[in-house]
Parts: sequence; structure tokens; C-alpha cells
Amino acid sequence: MERDIREDIAWAKINTDVLKSLESPRRLYWVIVFVAMLIFSIGIGCEVYQYNVGLGVANMDNPHVWGLYIATFIFWIGMSHSGTLLSAILLLMGADWRKPIYRFAEAMTTFSLMTAGLFVMVHLGRLWQVYYALPYPNERGVWPNFQSPLLWDAMAIFTYLSSSVLFLFIGMIPDLAICRDHLHPGWRKKLYTLLSLGWEGTDRQWRNFRVAYVTVACFLIPLAVSVHSIVASDFAMSQQPGWHVTSFPPYFVAGALYSGCAAIITLFIILRYVFKFEDYMTLPILKKIARLTFAIAMVWTYLNAVEFASVWYSHDQASKDVLIQKATGPYAPFWWMMNFCGSVVPLVLAFKRFQTSIPVLFAVSLLLNLGMWLERWMIVAPTFSHGYYPWTWDHDQWPSLVQWGMVFGSFGWFTLLFMVFCKVFPSVSMYEVKEMVYHRKMALENKTEGAH
Amino acid sequence: MMENNFNRRDFLKVMGWGGAAVTLTGCGFTSVEDGREVVTSYVEPPEYALPGISVYFNSTCAQCDAGCSVSGRVREGRVLKLEGNTASAINRGKMCGLGQAGVQAHYNPDRVREPLLKGKAISWEEALGLIDGKLKAVKGEEVAFLTGGLSGHVKVMFKNYMDTLGGANHFVYEAASPAVVRASNKKAYGVSMPRLHLDKAKVVMSFGADFLGSWVSPVHFSQQYAAFRKGNRPEGRGVLVQIEPKMTLTGANADRWIPANPGSEGVLALGIINALGKAGLSIPADIAGLTRDYGVDRVSKETGVSVEQINKLAGLLKERTPSLVLVGDAAEGYLHGSQNAAAIALLNRVLGNIGKTIDAPANVPFPQVAPTVGSRSAVKALNDKLTSGKVQVLFTYAANPVFSAPSVLKFKDNLQKVPFKVALAHYMDETAVEADLVLPLDSALEDWGTGVPEYLAEGAQLNIQQPLMEKLYSGTRGVGDILLALLKQRRANEYKGYEDFYSYLRHSLVSIKGVLGGSGKDDDIFWAETLSQGLVKLSGNNGSLAAKANAAGLNLPAPAAEDSNYPLRLIPSVTASMRDGRNANQPWLQESPDPLTTIVWDSWVEIHPKTAARLGIVEGDIIEVASRNGAIKAQAYLFPGIHPDAISIPLGYGHEAMGRYAKNVGANAFAILDQAVDKETGELAMNETRVKLSKVGKRIIVTKEEGPAGGMQMGKKIAVRVASDKVNLSEEI
Amino acid sequence: MSVTNLLENWSTFRHFHPVDDKPHEQYKWAMAINLDACTGCNACSVACYAENNIAVVGKDKYAHGQTMHWMRIERYWDEDGREFPDQGAQFLPMMCQQCEAAPCETVCPVGATNHTADGLNSQVYNRCIGSRYCSANCPFKVRYFNWYDYPDQEKVWPEPLPQQLNPDLTVRTKGVMEKCTFCVQRLTAAKSDARNEGRSVRDGDVQTACQQACPAGAISFGNLVDPQSKIAKQWEKQRVELAAHDEQEKDKEGSELRGYRIFEELRAYPSVMYLERVRESAV
Ligand SMILES: Nc1nc2c(c(=O)[nH]1)N[C@H]1C(S)=C(S)[C@@H](COP(=O)(O)OP(=O)(O)OC[C@H]3O[C@@H](n4cnc5c(=O)[nH]c(N)nc54)[C@H](O)[C@@H]3O)O[C@H]1N2
Ligand SMILES: Nc1nc2c(c(=O)[nH]1)N[C@H]1C(S)=C(S)[C@@H](COP(=O)(O)OP(=O)(O)OC[C@H]3O[C@@H](n4cnc5c(=O)[nH]c(N)nc54)[C@H](O)[C@@H]3O)O[C@H]1N2
Ligand code: SF4
Ligand code: SF4
Ligand code: SF4
Ligand code: SF4
Ligand code: SF4
Repeated sequence: MERDIREDIAWAKINTDVLKSLESPRRLYWVIVFVAMLIFSIGIGCEVYQYNVGLGVANMDNPHVWGLYIATFIFWIGMSHSGTLLSAILLLMGADWRKPIYRFAEAMTTFSLMTAGLFVMVHLGRLWQVYYALPYPNERGVWPNFQSPLLWDAMAIFTYLSSSVLFLFIGMIPDLAICRDHLHPGWRKKLYTLLSLGWEGTDRQWRNFRVAYVTVACFLIPLAVSVHSIVASDFAMSQQPGWHVTSFPPYFVAGALYSGCAAIITLFIILRYVFKFEDYMTLPILKKIARLTFAIAMVWTYLNAVEFASVWYSHDQASKDVLIQKATGPYAPFWWMMNFCGSVVPLVLAFKRFQTSIPVLFAVSLLLNLGMWLERWMIVAPTFSHGYYPWTWDHDQWPSLVQWGMVFGSFGWFTLLFMVFCKVFPSVSMYEVKEMVYHRKMALENKTEGAH
Repeated sequence: MMENNFNRRDFLKVMGWGGAAVTLTGCGFTSVEDGREVVTSYVEPPEYALPGISVYFNSTCAQCDAGCSVSGRVREGRVLKLEGNTASAINRGKMCGLGQAGVQAHYNPDRVREPLLKGKAISWEEALGLIDGKLKAVKGEEVAFLTGGLSGHVKVMFKNYMDTLGGANHFVYEAASPAVVRASNKKAYGVSMPRLHLDKAKVVMSFGADFLGSWVSPVHFSQQYAAFRKGNRPEGRGVLVQIEPKMTLTGANADRWIPANPGSEGVLALGIINALGKAGLSIPADIAGLTRDYGVDRVSKETGVSVEQINKLAGLLKERTPSLVLVGDAAEGYLHGSQNAAAIALLNRVLGNIGKTIDAPANVPFPQVAPTVGSRSAVKALNDKLTSGKVQVLFTYAANPVFSAPSVLKFKDNLQKVPFKVALAHYMDETAVEADLVLPLDSALEDWGTGVPEYLAEGAQLNIQQPLMEKLYSGTRGVGDILLALLKQRRANEYKGYEDFYSYLRHSLVSIKGVLGGSGKDDDIFWAETLSQGLVKLSGNNGSLAAKANAAGLNLPAPAAEDSNYPLRLIPSVTASMRDGRNANQPWLQESPDPLTTIVWDSWVEIHPKTAARLGIVEGDIIEVASRNGAIKAQAYLFPGIHPDAISIPLGYGHEAMGRYAKNVGANAFAILDQAVDKETGELAMNETRVKLSKVGKRIIVTKEEGPAGGMQMGKKIAVRVASDKVNLSEEI
Repeated sequence: MSVTNLLENWSTFRHFHPVDDKPHEQYKWAMAINLDACTGCNACSVACYAENNIAVVGKDKYAHGQTMHWMRIERYWDEDGREFPDQGAQFLPMMCQQCEAAPCETVCPVGATNHTADGLNSQVYNRCIGSRYCSANCPFKVRYFNWYDYPDQEKVWPEPLPQQLNPDLTVRTKGVMEKCTFCVQRLTAAKSDARNEGRSVRDGDVQTACQQACPAGAISFGNLVDPQSKIAKQWEKQRVELAAHDEQEKDKEGSELRGYRIFEELRAYPSVMYLERVRESAV
């Protein structure tokens, strides 16, 4: 059995390796940051233009009122699921191989949510009135509509975002203390001093820390599941053919975990390469993620099939029409591509030799995410083109460059946030890797299997 | 509504002031008169300008010649909306879309705002002086007037002015008019526009009269149609059969739409008479003689209508009387248009409809205000005159011949032979652009006038046109005022008593108040009441139908030979919104989808899917439609409601001038019409143009309301239809 | 305090359609459109433009599906494969059906579209944030979004056209949803007049703009609560029930009625009844 991690890594080396990633960036870093800013500024440019001229420039129409913004919003929400949710589940299950990778995965969650939030904004016709959606008490007694899934959405996402940030932060406290102790004076030291909340590593602190960490993890799991179920409600609670599907909540959750796992693979490979984290982000761990991804892919495929089947065998002709239209109409290339990327490509992961092949996994993970993005688009758009009312069917609708620009720009924004994070916070959990190494060593010395 | 003792002039001033007050509250109203701004307090509001309260003033719709009465909603001195005046028997409170767009004619951003001499602004004094000078230098016969249909006191003024000039030529032109039908009616019934009673008919069989869309008085006929369709009237629900090669709005509403071969309408009528005879109806001898040779088999062959269908129609007509047979554009637009119309009129006689569903119209007691209707031949006649170089001064009013005359006439070129052309115009339309002097007119909502509609729904009535608000531009003038000023140049003494056209009008009506139902009333009260009602019902006896449709001289030609060079027939269509194109610059009309094709903001070529498949044409292909006299390009629209040997293009599009909403929108189908005329009347035969189609290799997405489902309901019960025997209509509310 | 208000009145907020326990009290506006009379002439649609300050968007935007016509006339063809549409076309005026259980209302995050006590589906422009969820969930797709700033930036009313605008309602701007309101400004005025005289609005006191224009008189409109109103009689005669939980009378075998509502099965309980177009069987 290959080992998840070498048990002979010195603790000091762990500190050095990880803290090195916080050192003055190399030129490549700046190149990436610059490119990310460039891409993001395309998105900003598009938004400024759209804000000034009106949503018409996105080339949506009546009745095709939603497009890539909502699709990409769901995509980013989905993306947010693997980090925090998986980390919390694995924590409770005691799977210690999560330890070297959870930190960046949780960061990913936070940034995905922050990216998703952008789409809520750019999608509004009157962004300047967005606060109407907030339930603030006011003398006129005007409240948002608590019946609207969109409002549930906003609340769920906000809760998820704040809890995720909390979870990420709590898990980072011991590491922040290490940073504080190892760094020269400067703004960073001040920051770490502030954020590490006076962590000294006393027994009492550790005890409280563990309780707090596990408590938040317990809270997060149902929360994360509910978040994407609620996003699914935006559709499932509507009355539209193709949307009004009972299985949407689990289907959305599965899709979310799926795209999240795929994204973990992508970022895993990049970080491993960029920060030379080969010792921590090891191939056996990658293999575990690959297997997990495969399993989720199959769950997703199953739920996808359930959705098709339940539409197909129902008496709801309108929903059937939408499904047929997806497979044969103007969206057909994208729809088939989604099925290919979502259900066929992951079969590669069933083969052992590909489970550790970095180039294959990298390519596969990108394709899976493409598939998951297409999935969201294929949920949102075709229903508008082919709803209940044939007179208003609209098969020519094609997102304008403004919409594409903002989708593109969101990747810039996400990358930017992530790049900043990598340089400011340790993207591998030092104290937990130490724990892991220690446990493995003890296990080896005691001739027992290491904890899993 | 208005009170009796109320001074109209004060009211107008008040409204003008109200308008000025609006300026100051920030609505960007430019001052009424140069350099003058007026501040008005609404704390003590002026009478009839209650802030926030709408008042309604009655007037007459000027968007087409049907003469519907309107009730204009006015608030704070601005007219907001045109609604129907319920007092008029013509429209009874209803309006068509075209009529409602009248407010956009008034507030149109492209109106001419001051007199223009070769494009340069001049004063009215200069303009009128110029005309005076030019006219003094020419003989009366060298002056020509081209106007649209005229009636009422404006007609009187025109006539008086022409009389003072001595021998001036008057051409009355309507590019889309039922001119052949009028002549045929005159022969068949003794009157050119009999009264029709759709509401009393059990069956209406219309040979191409689009009475719901654009024919004669569509709002009135739509109301009659609604009554005719009521299942709870004693006659039961009426049945509509429409025979025409291009489905019109009326055809789309028919129980049976029959695309008989274009031009064979008369033959079909004779065939039905023949079949009626066979079915046992007694046919007058002269007609029986004529129709003897029109057996169903022959007729079916010539018309393309199946034998069963002909027999069914005959059966229906025999069984359900009275019926009403109409003849319209689709039947009159041929070399033998008059013959077609005469043949169809025989049906009404055979079926005994005359006197039942076709009635004598009311007499207009004052012939001087009775309508002078226009014809298509007028523009040809004027053109001949222009070619001869005998016209020195030409006035145009309510007509746009440069746009609507077939290009084969070379009207625009011939116009250059006229040294001095005066256009009385609202917009810089194609004809105004060519004019030397353009006299900007008040909008119909700013002007005074009267009118008598050609089609009188009940008794005769004199429609009142009155300003609904103060003029928008000080530089425009009413047509009556212009004519009065011109008359004063020549007969100052005769007209010096009239300060303006308004006082002329008031005087004219008040002086005959006795016959207008105002005997014994105070002048002011009578006048105020007249204005308040917006129309005067004229007493007068109904005439009677004089002649009878008969078979004498009726001789229908054999079916026209095919023309292999130009294999298709062009059926230009007159649509409810666009008509002859004079209202094309009104954005509501451009954005109001054509009911049949649902296309907006463009013209199109209707092609039957079968024909299109043969020619390899699909929707959106840009097609060159070439006749012997020119070619235009337009988008193809595959349309099941058209005869496979014909295509149709709507008229009224393709302006090269006129304004921002009309210019360069679509193609002008008038331009490619052949100059073929009906043999009896000399009227341009609108459906005689043969064309060929070729693709120019460009394809666009047609801008239309209909989506990719193409007017299919996909099995969803959205617009549901039921067979008449499956439903009980007799007790409906 | 408004939180108390929210909590105390929560159930009334949610129940404003006439489920059996809470029928309308004074007014329930409803419409009937007789498809056998409707000629498809578009007069109603133009009237709606005139009355309701609807923007003319121009060809480009029309081509992009960004038109604003609250009242659209749909034209359908037979689907039985005839060579010619020899029974004519089918026209259907379609506008907001003022659903009693409106799918658009429940989803609006800010409650900008909601039910009035008179049974209207109201649209509060000032409150709308432009999420377009309402349109997404409307089965009839009769909601029109302001994709652009038509009055100011797109200048669809060049001078002096703005003088035509109806001051009884707003000109909508960028980013808000709009749709047929049953000409609520006319209803409000009529109700106010009636209230001043201490009575209810009488049948015929108020017409919608489309109804008023319609040359064929195909549209009737009025108060369903008033049993003497024409509309109530029409609905009654056709046995169309506002809150029918099952099929309507007409759906039963052998029925000779012709009143129906579109998509009855979705249970949005529209306030518009259509009367089937009739076609003569003898020709
Ligand atoms: N019938 C009726 N009576 C009312 C009221 C009502 O609603 N209806 N409302 C009451 C109330 S609340 C008020 S405040 C009063 C208001 O009553 P007033 O004070 O009389 O107000 P206005 O009539 O609006 O304005 C008075 C005059 O000021 C002129 N004016 C405007 N700008 C200027 C300026 O710059 N300089 C000078 N010198 N003159 C100017 C206007 O043309 C107008 O003639 O009316 C009271 N009386
Ligand atoms: N264009 C223009 N605008 C103006 C002005 C102007 O001159 N020209 N004047 C300005 C001035 S000075 C003023 S004061 C304002 C006035 O502006 P507003 O205060 O809006 O005046 P009103 O319309 O008179 O009254 C408002 C409402 O109160 C209702 N009302 C009457 N009595 C009672 C009551 O006892 N209880 C309740 N609850 N309601 C009641 C009335 O029916 C009416 O609907 O307008 C200002 N706006
Ligand atoms: S039919 Fe003619 S006169 Fe009557 S409302 Fe329409 S445009 Fe005006
Ligand atoms: S028709 Fe559409 S917009 Fe109107 S109430 Fe029903 S769901 Fe809402
Ligand atoms: S577009 Fe406006 S009315 Fe519609 S759901 Fe969004 S906020 Fe509500
Ligand atoms: S009821 Fe009023 S708002 Fe609705 S379609 Fe008719 S005119 Fe337009
Ligand atoms: S105005 Fe009347 S007849 Fe014309 S389309 Fe509208 S409902 Fe039909």
C-alpha cells in the first residue's frame, strides 16, 4: 500500500516548506495575478457597460429572461461545495488524508461563493435597488417576499458563506500562530497576531479548539446540503417545464459535489506543481480524490438518468418537449457535450493507472468542470426557449459577448482571490500535516495501520 | 363634455396657456409663440383645464376616409389619446389601430414646421405672395390640383379657389380605392356606395372585399361583423365566405377562405348562379341565359375551386337568405375588373338581396359638401397632362404621387416639367421633397374642418373636425386657412368678412342652423352644441336603388394565358395599418404586427410554401421581385394563405423620405406595378402585374412576432375552435 | 412595529386569491374575450400602447425579442396538414391573465408583483429590482422587461412625442418588469368616483382601453362580484368558475359551452375567460 504521506518528514521541514509559499512571490505569480486582473477587468468592463445601458446588451429577451448569469451562478455555488462540505464530512469521519488538502479546498469554497455572489448582482435589472431584497425592519412595513425561493437562496448563501469563512478561519488559527511566530515584523506579522487570537497552543486552547471546530463542521454539513437544495428550489419550486422536477435538490447537490471534486483535482495539481508540495499533496491522496470523484460522477449520472426517466414516463408533455428539445434542438450540441463530459469522461477515473496520472487527471478535471458548467446552462436556458407557451418559443437566443465576458471575468476574479490567499495564508495546514505525520509514525512504530 | 355657453376661442387660448404652464413645471415644452412665456396658476384653474382631470372633445379621425368620430382625451392642454365618439353611427365609440395612431401624426417629430422654399424657411407672407405672383403669370388651365378625396367645407374652399383661377384642373387621387367597385355599384344599383347590412345577412360572400381590414369603413363593418357573428340573433350566427387569392384579415376570419384563381372571380360568380339554378332557384331569364355555359365542371376548371365546393356554396346561399355578396379589391384589380364586379353583382340580384341587405344610402342634402372620391386613374390623367408640359403650377394636397404612382409613369421626372410645384404637407414626403414650395399644415388635431364620409352608416352626417389643443408650432396652418388666404388674394371683398377659416366655418353652419336641427336656438348655443357633439346628423330622405344588376354587356374573358417570363402574379396588399403609406411615419403602426404575417418594421413577399419549395426559397431569403417595369427586393415570408401562382407584397412601405420611422423601411411595391387598366373605367388594374422571383443570395432573420413554432399550438388548447353544430350559441350573453 | 405587523398578518399576505374560505368582497375584475368576434385587427394592442405609455422599441430590439406589447395578438394556423388554411386563421389576444394564484407572485423576491384585494396581479415598478423571476415563472409569458432605458437613453419618444404620454401612470425605466394591469389607473379612478358617491362601481362605468377600442366588441370586462354585471353573467352562463378545482363544465362530455381558460390544468386560476371561435360546419 502506497503511503499517503511520508512519516519521516521533520516538523521543521513542514513549517519551512509551507511558509516558503508565503515568501516574496516569483515572477510567475505576478504574471498570473496580472492575467487574472486582466480577465476580471473584462468582466468589470462588461458590467459597467451593462449597468449604464441596460440588461438588453446581454442579449436576453422576453421571455428568455435568464441566461449565463444564472447558469454560472449555480456553477460557482456548486463549486463551493466540495471544499467545506467534504472537509467537514471527512473531518467527522476521521479521514486524515484530508489534512494536506482541505485548506485550499475551503478557500475555494469561500471564493466560489464570493464569485457566485457577483452573478446575483450583475443579473439584476436594478442593481442599485438590491437592498430591497434584504429583510430590514422598516417603518413602512415593507418586507421582501419570504415565499420566494430567490430570497431563501440569498439567505442560504449568506449563511453558508459566513459559516464557511468561520470554519476556514477556525481551522487556520494554529497555523496563523505559526506564521506569527516565524515571520519578521511587518504588516503580515500584525495581521497574523490579530488573527491568531493569542493562540499559544495550551491544552485548554486545543480542547476548546477541537470542540469548536467539530461543532462548526456538524453545522456545516446540513447547511451545505441545504444550500444547493435551495438553489435547486429556484427551479423546482417554479411551475416551468424542465424545472419543476422533484429530484432537483439531490441532483443539484450531487452536481455540486461533483464539480467541487473536479475543481479540487485541478487546483491540487496546480498547487502541487507551483509550490512544490509533492511531499504533502501526494499521489495517493490524489488517487483518493479521483476515486471519490468517480463515485460522485456515477451518482450524478444516475440522478441525471432519473430526471430524464421521470420526465419521459410522466404525463407532462411540456416537460417532455423541453427534454426532446434539449436533445435535438439548437442546444443539442451543448446538451450532448454535457452528457459526454459528465458521464463518459469520468469513466477514465475508473482505471487505476489514470488515477495517479497527473496530465490525465488535469485534463479530465477540466472536462468535468466544463460538463458541469454546461449542465447548469442546460438547466436554465432551454426551458425559456421552449416553455409552456408555444407562441413565445424562442430558438435564436444566444448570449451576447457581454454575458460571455462576465462569465470569463468571473474566472479572473476567482483566480485573483485565490492567488492573494495563497500568498497571505498557508494553503496547506501545517499543524494537521504534522499531526498526520506523527500519527503515521506512531502507527508504523506500533506496527499497526495508520488511521484513515 | 362641454357646456353650452362656452366660448370656443377662449378655450383654445386657455389650453395654450395651460401648455405653457406645463413648460415651467419642467416638461420641456417650448414656448407657444416666439419669445413669449406665460405663467398660469392652477390654484384657480381656468375653466375646462382642470389640472389632473381629463376633458374630452369630439372631432373626426383623419387617418383614413371612413370618417369615424373621435373623442380626444385632453389634459392640461395636451391631447393624450383618441377614443371613439359613441354618438357616431359609423364607429359607435370604437377605433381601429390606424385611427388611434392619429396622436402620433400630431406629435410626430418629423412634421414640417414652417413654409419652405426649396428647402429654405420663409414666412407665410412670402409664401402666399409667391403663389399669388406665380398664378398671375399663368392661365387657369395651366394650373392643376392633385388632392386626395375631399368633402365638407375644405372641399368647398378648394372648389371656390379653383373657380377663381378659372379652368384649373382638379385630379382626385386615391392610390388604394375601390374605384371599379364604385362604378360597378353605380351600374348595378344606381349608387356607388350602397348601404350594406352584414348584420342582417345569414351569409356574407365576399369576393375580396377586406371589410374588416382596410375596405371602405372597416371599423363600422367590424361592428356589423360582430353582430352578424352573434349566435343569439334571430338569423343565427352568420357564415362568412371569402374568395380571394391573398388572404386578407377578412379572409382570415372567414368560415371558408377560397383562393380561386386570380381573375376568375366573375366566372365563379356565374358558376354559382348556374349551380343555384340547378338546385332549383329561379333565375331571371337574362341571367340564366348568360350563365348557361358556366356549368360547375367548366367553372371548377377555370377557377380552381372544386365542384363540391361550388355546389356547397350554392346550397348554402340557397338555403340561408338573405345573404350579402360583396366585391372588393381582389376582384376589381384586373383588365376585366368591371366585368368581374358586374358578374358578382348579379348574385345579389339572383339571391334577392337587393333591398334587404343592400340598401340605398342616405342622401346628402348639401351636394357641395358631399364627398368627391378619388381614383387611381387620376394620377395617370395628371401624368399625361404633365407630359404634355401644359401644367405651370401644381398644387398637391393629401396625395403622394411620387411615392404611389407606378414608376412606369415616370411621374417624378414629369414633375420636373412643372415650373412651380406647391405641396400642402404634414411631412417632407416624396412629393413634398420634389416641390418648390412646401406649405406646412396643421395636424388633424389642430385644424378646423368638416367632412362627409363616403360610406354613410345610417343617416347622412356632417363630421366636425376641431382642434383638440393649441397648435404645437406657430409655423403651420390649417388647410382651410391657407385656402382662405389664397382666396382673399383674388376675391378680397367676398371673403373679407371672415377673419379666418374658423369664422367661415362657423358662419356657414350657423347660417343654416335651421336645417341642421338648430332652428330657434341661439347661434352660440347651436354652435357650442355642434362642436360638443362633434357631428351633425343631416336630415334627408333615403334614396332608392335605381338600376338593377343585369346581364347586358357582360362578357368575361377566357382565363389569362400564362406568361413564362413572368410566371407569378403580384397581388399588392392594402393592409389595415399601412394602407397606401400615408401614415407610415407613425411608430405604433410600424411596430404593430401585420395580423397575418406578424411582421413588423419591414415589407415582405408572401409566397405559398409549395411555390417557395419549387423555387428553393426559404423564409428570410432576400428576393428580387421583378416586373416588366422594375424590380424591388424584400424578404420572403412563406405564407399558406396565398394562391400558389401569386405572391403578395404590402403597399405603403419603402418610403425614401417622410420621416425617421418611414424612411428606408421596406420596399415600395407601387413602383413595380404595370400600367394595366380596367377596360371600362381606366382604373389601374392592381392585380395585373406579372413578376418573376430570384434570390439575391442573402438571408436574414425575419423580424416578426410569430416565434419558431410558426403559429402552431403544439396540441395545447390555446386558441380553441369549435364546429358550429357542437355548440349552443342561442342563449349566450 | 412592522415586524409585528409581518408576523400577525402573515397568513393574509399569503391568501389573496379566492380559495373557498376567502372570496372577494367588493370587486373582482375579470375579462371575457370572444374569439368568434375577434378579427385579429390589433386595435386593442395599439390602444394599450396609447393608454399605458408603452415604448416602441424599434426594429433591432423587436428582432431581439425585446418588444413591450402588453397585449399581443397571436395568429395560429390549422394543424391538420391542409394545403390551404381554408378555415382562416385563429387569432388570440393575449395579455396578463391576472391569475388568482399567480405563479409570478410567489417567486418575486421583493414582492413587487402581488395580488390586490380586487383580484388583480399588480406590478409595483418602484419596488421591482429586475430579477425577472416572475417572467420566468409566468406560464403565459406576458411579462415584459425593460431591457433598456427607453425614455431617456434610447429616446424612443423624441420631442414632441412625450406630450402624448398618459400622466395617470408612469413611464417605466431600465430594469423593471411591466405587463398588462387591466388598466388599473382607470379602475382606480372609477372606484374613487364611486366611493365619493358612496356606492360601488357600476357595470359599464369603467372600460379597459383595449375593450374600449375593440371594433368587434370582442372584449368584455367588469366586476365578477356584481351578479348583474355582464361579465358575471357571461362567466355564469359558460359555467366557468374562478377557482374551479377540477375541470370546468365545458370539459365534460357533450357540453355545448364554449367558455374556457388557457392552461386550466396549471391551476393559476386566470381571470380571463376566452370563448371559442366557431366555424360553420356546413361549408
Ligand atoms: N382652490 C384652491 N385654493 C387653494 C389651494 C388649493 O389647492 N386649491 N391650496 C392652498 C395652499 S396649500 C397654498 S400654499 C396657496 C397657494 O396660493 P398662492 O400663493 O396664491 O400660490 P399660486 O397661485 O400657486 O402662486 C401665486 C402667483 O405667483 C406667481 N409666481 C410664480 N412665480 C413667481 C415669482 O417668481 N415671482 C412672482 N412675483 N410671482 C410668481 C404665479 O404666477 C401666481 O400667479 O393656495 C391655497 N388655496
Ligand atoms: N404643480 C403644482 N404642484 C404643487 C403646487 C402647485 O402650485 N403647483 N403647490 C404645492 C403646495 S403649496 C402644496 S401645499 C402641495 C399640496 O399637495 P397635497 O398635499 O398632495 O394636496 P392635496 O391634493 O390637496 O391633498 C392630498 C390628499 O389629501 C386628501 N385629504 C383631504 N382631507 C383629508 C383628511 O382629512 N384626511 C386624510 N387622510 N386625507 C385627506 C385629499 O383627498 C387628497 O387626496 O402641492 C404642491 N404641489
Ligand atoms: S377606420 Fe379610418 S376613420 Fe375610422 S378610426 Fe380607423 S383610420 Fe380612423
Ligand atoms: S398571466 Fe403571468 S404575469 Fe399575469 S398573473 Fe398570471 S402568471 Fe402573473
Ligand atoms: S422582475 Fe421585479 S417583479 Fe419580477 S420577480 Fe424580479 S423584482 Fe419581482
Ligand atoms: S386591460 Fe389595459 S393594460 Fe391590459 S391589455 Fe387591455 S389595455 Fe392593455
Ligand atoms: S381589437 Fe378586438 S377584434 Fe381587434 S384584435 Fe383586439 S380583441 Fe380582436
